[in-house]
Amino acid sequence: MILLTAVAAGTVAGWGFARWRGIAWQPPIFRATWLVALGFIPQFVAFYSPYTRTALTDELASTSLICSQLMLLFFTFLNLRLPGMPILMLGLGCNLAVILANGGFMPLTIDAASRLVNQAILDSLVIGERISSASKDILLPETRIVLPWLADRFVSPQNMPYRFAFSLGDVFVAAGAFWMLVGERPALSVLNSGDN
Amino acid sequence: MKNTINLFVLSFTKINKTHLQYALMLLTLLMLVLGAGAPEDVGGIGR
Repeated sequence: MILLTAVAAGTVAGWGFARWRGIAWQPPIFRATWLVALGFIPQFVAFYSPYTRTALTDELASTSLICSQLMLLFFTFLNLRLPGMPILMLGLGCNLAVILANGGFMPLTIDAASRLVNQAILDSLVIGERISSASKDILLPETRIVLPWLADRFVSPQNMPYRFAFSLGDVFVAAGAFWMLVGERPALSVLNSGDN
Repeated sequence: MKNTINLFVLSFTKINKTHLQYALMLLTLLMLVLGAGAPEDVGGIGR
């Protein structure tokens, strides 16, 4: 939700800013958009589709996540000239690094989980296991996490109606997406010369 | 009913290349951020 909110807020802000300046809003033009679709499919199958995610083993889900993020990282590299993309790439790199360092899933600290759910749900979770078939996260105590500052350790404020845990990488991804939609872009003629 | 259909057809004909470009860009960006990020929400825990 934090990520979708960043895209929605960036779209509204970018459009509003362009209107305020009296110019037409130009969306970012990506190179190799097919790579995003190709990169997202493994994650869609492993985490988002309720029809397929329960059929995959944890090893397969983990491999899907890593392969997917590597493809997306390559996509961000190809589109580095867009505003916000270096920040988004940094966020993706942070998330991928902590995922690789912790066995192929994003670690969620017990402290963060305890601030999100009640004790009964927390007791039903197994340390070192995925927290659900729809999740990229495994529950780990902070002492067992490699690169703990990159894990899902931050929790949205208690007074927010929607509670979630997020990582430093997620913040960079959201900030990069927002900036991509609001920031100044290179002239279209330059972009079009390298489009696919 | 006929007016509704006419309205729908009129709306559809107003969709141009720019609109499709916006939609494709948003879809690409959504897939990118969903794939790049890994936040965890309350609903996802223990599901």
